[in-house]
Amino acid sequence: MSDETTQVEAAGDEFERDLASLGEVQLVDADPSKAEELLRILGELKVRHTGKKSAIAAAKKLIGKVAAEKRADFGQLVQTVENKIVSTIAETEAKLKDLVSKAKTESERLDVTIPGRRPRTGHLHPITIVRQRIEDIFVSMGYSIEDDREIETDYYNFDALNIPEGHPARESQDTFYTTEGFALRSQTSTVQIRAMERRGVPIRILAPGRVFRRDTPDMTHTPMFHQLEGLCVDKGITMAHLKGTVTEWLQRLFDKDTRTRFRPSYFPFTEPSAEFDFSCFVCHGSGKLDGERCRPCKGTGWIELGGSGMVHPNVLRACNIDPTVYSGFAFGFGLERMAALVYEIDDIRHMFENDMRFLQQFK
Amino acid sequence: MNISYNWLKDLIDIDLTAEEAAVQLTRVGLAVDGIHPHGDDFVIDIDLTSNRPDCLSHLGVGRELRVITGKPLTAETQRHGEELEIPYPTVLSPDFVKIENPELCYRFTARIIRGVEIGPSPEWMVRRLEALSERSINNVADITNYVMLELGQPMHAFDLDKLAENRIVVRAARPGETIKTLDEIERKVEPSMLMICDAEKPVAVGGVMGGLDSSITEQTKNVLLEVAYFDRASVRSTSRKLNLVTEASYRFERGVDINNLQNASDRAANLICDLAGGELGEFVDVYPRPTESKTVESPDISKAVKRLTGLEVSAKESLRILNDLGISEDDESPASGSNSKIFVSPSWRHDIAIEEDLVEEVARHAGYENVANELPPAYHAGEYQHTEETERKIRRTLADQGFDEAMGYSFIDKKHDDVYELVPGLLDHRAENKYVELSDSVIEGAVRMRPTLLPGLVESARVNFNQQNKDLRLFEVGRVFASHLSEDNLPTERELLSLLITGKEIFEERALPGRELDFYDAKGAVESALESAGITSAEFEAAEVKHLRPGQSANISINGHPIGTVGRLNEEIAANYKFRQPVYVAEIDLQTVLAEPRSPVPYAALPRFPSIVRDVSFTVRRDITFGMVRDTIKAQSVELCRGVEFVDVYEGKGIAANERSLTIRLEYRSDTGTLVDDDVEQVHARLLKAVEENLHIKQRF
Repeated sequence: MSDETTQVEAAGDEFERDLASLGEVQLVDADPSKAEELLRILGELKVRHTGKKSAIAAAKKLIGKVAAEKRADFGQLVQTVENKIVSTIAETEAKLKDLVSKAKTESERLDVTIPGRRPRTGHLHPITIVRQRIEDIFVSMGYSIEDDREIETDYYNFDALNIPEGHPARESQDTFYTTEGFALRSQTSTVQIRAMERRGVPIRILAPGRVFRRDTPDMTHTPMFHQLEGLCVDKGITMAHLKGTVTEWLQRLFDKDTRTRFRPSYFPFTEPSAEFDFSCFVCHGSGKLDGERCRPCKGTGWIELGGSGMVHPNVLRACNIDPTVYSGFAFGFGLERMAALVYEIDDIRHMFENDMRFLQQFK
Repeated sequence: MNISYNWLKDLIDIDLTAEEAAVQLTRVGLAVDGIHPHGDDFVIDIDLTSNRPDCLSHLGVGRELRVITGKPLTAETQRHGEELEIPYPTVLSPDFVKIENPELCYRFTARIIRGVEIGPSPEWMVRRLEALSERSINNVADITNYVMLELGQPMHAFDLDKLAENRIVVRAARPGETIKTLDEIERKVEPSMLMICDAEKPVAVGGVMGGLDSSITEQTKNVLLEVAYFDRASVRSTSRKLNLVTEASYRFERGVDINNLQNASDRAANLICDLAGGELGEFVDVYPRPTESKTVESPDISKAVKRLTGLEVSAKESLRILNDLGISEDDESPASGSNSKIFVSPSWRHDIAIEEDLVEEVARHAGYENVANELPPAYHAGEYQHTEETERKIRRTLADQGFDEAMGYSFIDKKHDDVYELVPGLLDHRAENKYVELSDSVIEGAVRMRPTLLPGLVESARVNFNQQNKDLRLFEVGRVFASHLSEDNLPTERELLSLLITGKEIFEERALPGRELDFYDAKGAVESALESAGITSAEFEAAEVKHLRPGQSANISINGHPIGTVGRLNEEIAANYKFRQPVYVAEIDLQTVLAEPRSPVPYAALPRFPSIVRDVSFTVRRDITFGMVRDTIKAQSVELCRGVEFVDVYEGKGIAANERSLTIRLEYRSDTGTLVDDDVEQVHARLLKAVEENLHIKQRF
C-alpha cells in the first residue's frame, strides 16, 4: 500500500475518531439543549476535515502526482472518503438542526386554551334588550315609536281613558300622586291620548315607557315597571287586525309556530276587551319539557301576556276622533314580565338593584 | 269566586262536566283558574273581571251557561213573591225603617221573622258552604251567606230584640260614634260612612259588616233581615277607610241587582222558616230612589259586531245571545223588520251602556277564537323616536367599553336633596318647591322624584361592593324630574346620562385585574358617549362641583353650553357609604346633547408628505394645564404645526413637590414638500418660546 493511500485512509479514520469524540452526537435525542453546542463543534469538524487545510484537501493535491496507473483508483479512494465525510457531516448537521428547531418550537409552545385577552365587555339592561327587539319588529310593521310624560294630569291618566271620577280603577290605591296633585302615569295608555292629539288619525304607534303603581316590591311586583303599548286607529280596523298584529309580532319575536289566544276581559279604555296569551316558547304549547312540567307556562302550554281590545269610543271622542268613522285596537303588556319570561328571571326586583352578577348575564 | 258545580246544576240542567263547563266559561270571559274536587262536588274557581259583579253568584254564572248551552234556568232561580206564602206587602209605618241618606242607600227592605230557634245548619248546607270556603256559624247566619252565594245579594240578620225601639235608621255616622263589628274590633266611624242604626246607635256598617251586639246568638228569637242596595262608591270608600273588605262590601261596591232585593229576601226568609222554625212577619220595602232601567240603542247589532270584530253573527243569533243574557228589546223598539233596536240593560248588569258593550256580549259568546287573524293594510313607514339611533349608539359604545347598563327607581330618598349638583337648567328657581315630591311611597323614604341619577348609581356601587365586586363601570340613561312654573305646572322631565366607575380595569375570563381606573377613564367614557352622539368638541374645565372632590372635578360643555360634570365623588359622600376606594361619576344632560347639532365630518385629503414630530417636556406648576399649553401653541397659528398631542405627565422624583413634568408632541408637516430638520427647528423654537413666555414655564428637555 502506497503512502498516499495510507494518508487518505488515515484522514478518513481521523474523521471517524473526531466524529466519535463528539460522542454525544448519538445521544442528542436525549439532550436537545446541547444541540447548538454540537452544531458549533460540527462546524469546526467540517472545517478541519473538508477545509483547505484538511487532509482530504492535501490528498486531492496528490492525485496528480500518483503514478498514472494508480491514479484512477487513488482518485476514487479520495472521492469516496471525501464523500463519506461530507455526507456524514451533512446528515449530522441536518439531524442537529432539526433538533434545534424542535427545541425552539417546544420552548415557544403556547397554551391556546388560556382565555383571549380582551377588556371586559359591558351589558345592556334586559329591559333595554327586549324593548329594542320589540321596537325593531314594530318599526318594520309600520309603527312609529312614541313616548311622553311620566308625570301626568288626571285627565290623561284617567278621564281621557274613560276612567271617570268615581271609577274603581281611579279610586284604587294603585296610583302615586305628587304633592301638587299630579299622577305618576299608571299605564302607558296616556301616550295613546297625547299621540292621537298630536298626530291625529290614521295612527299606528308603539309606546314603551315607565309606569308606576303602588305595589310593595316582591318577586313579581315592583312599584315601577315598564309597559309597551300598541295603538292602531284607522277606518275599518277590527279585532281581526288586533289578533293578526299581536300574533305576527309574537311569531317574529319567538318563532313562526307561535299561536295566540284571546280571552274576553275588561278594561275601561277598550270595548270589546280581551286578554291575550301565547303558546309557550319553551314547550311550544305542550306544557311538558323532557317529561317534566314546563316552567315558563307552569305546564299549561300558554303564557298570559297582556291586555287588549278595540279602543273605547269615549277614548276616541276625547281625542276628537269620530268613532263612527274610525275604529282602532290597542294592546299592552309589561316588559319586566316579558324579560322575566325570556330569560327565566325568578325575581323581578333584580331588575332595579343593578347587581353586576345579574346585569352581566344578558348578552 | 268559587262556584259549586253541583249547586250550579241545581240552577241549570246542563250536561257538561265540570271541566267542560270550565272551558266554556273561560271562553266567554269567566276565566276559570282551577277546578278542585270537594267530596262528590267540584269547586270551580273563577277569576272575574271587575265589571262582572253579576257573576259573583251561582245565578250569575248560570245565566252565562244559559247562553252557552241554550238550556233554561230552573224554577229555583225564577221564584217570585207569589210562590211563597208570605204576606206581601205588609207596609209598616215609615218610622220602622227610615232612610236619612237616600243618596247612600237607594233601597232598603226589612223582613221580620219571629220565633226562630238558632242552631246548627243542616248537613247539606254546611257541606255547600264549606266547599266554597265559608265557615258554618248558625242556621240563620248561614242562610244569609247561602242566599248571597246563590243570588249574589248580600244581606244581614239582626236580633230584633237587641235593636233599640225595634227600628232601623239608615244614616251617616255621627262624629265620635264607634261600633264593635262582628270581627270583635271596636271601630271609629266618621260622618262620610253610612251606618245602619237602631233608635240610638249604629248596629251595622252599611254594606260592609254587621255589629257584634245586635248579631244573631243562640238566644235570638226574633230576626230582622236586612236586604238593601247601597251606593257603590260609598261602600268602597267606607271599606277602604276601615281597611275592611268583606264578601258584602266586595259585591256592593261592584254593584248588586237592585230589582232582586225582595226576591232574595223572600228566599232567605223562606229558608229561615224552613230550617230554623219561625214565622214570617212584616215586610217593608223603602225605595226612595227608584232606579230606571238603562236603555241602549243599537242601529244594527249584527253590523256593529262585524265592524268591530270582523265576526259574521246574524241578527237572529245576536238577539238570542242578548236575550239569554237578560238584555231584552225595549217595547218601544222600532217594529221588527228594522235593524235598529233599543235594548234594556238588565238591573244586574252595570256595564252595559253603549252599542259597543252589546258587541262585546255578542262577540264573546260567538267566540273570540272565531275572530280571524289579519294584518291591517299598511301605508305608512315606521319610525323610531328621533333620538333612538343616537341613544342606541351611546348605549352600545359604553357597553363595549365595559359598562353595564343600570336602571334605578324614579323615586329616591329626600336625604339626597342638595347633596348633588344637578345638570344645568333643570331646576326652576322661581318655583317654591324645586323638587317633585310624592304624597307617599311604598318604599320607605322614597318620596323624591329623582332630580339626578347619581344617588341611584352610587347606591348600586354599594350593593356591588357588598358582594365583593369592587371593579365597576355602570351607566344609566333615565329621566329626572323638577318642578316647573308654567300654565299647567306639569313638572319638567329630562333625560340624563350618568355613569360611575371605580376599582380596576378588568378582563374577560381573567382573574387578575389591570391598572386602577381614574378620572381620565371617566372622562374618556363621557367623550366616547358624546362622540357616539356626534359631538367631538366637548370642553372640560376644572370646576368646583358640589358632589365632587375639589381638584378632581370638571364642568363639561358643548358649543359653550354647560351640560354636566365629571369627577371623583367627594369624601363626605364616600364616607357616608363607607367607600374605601375612589369612585368617579359623571352626569350629563342627554336631552340637550341630543338636540345639539352634530359636529361636521369634513374629509381632509391624505397628507402627501411625511411629517416630523418633536416631543418636548415642560416643568409646570399644577395650575398650568395641558389645555393651556395646547391652546397657546395653537394661538400662534403656525402653518407647519399640524397637531399638539399629549404624551405623558410625570410627578415625583426629580420634580419639585408642587410641580409636574408635562410632555407633549408637536407634529410638523408641509403640503408642498418633505420637511427636513432644519425647516422645523426655527418654528419649533418659536413655539416653545411662546409657551415659555406666555405661561412662565420652562422646558425640561
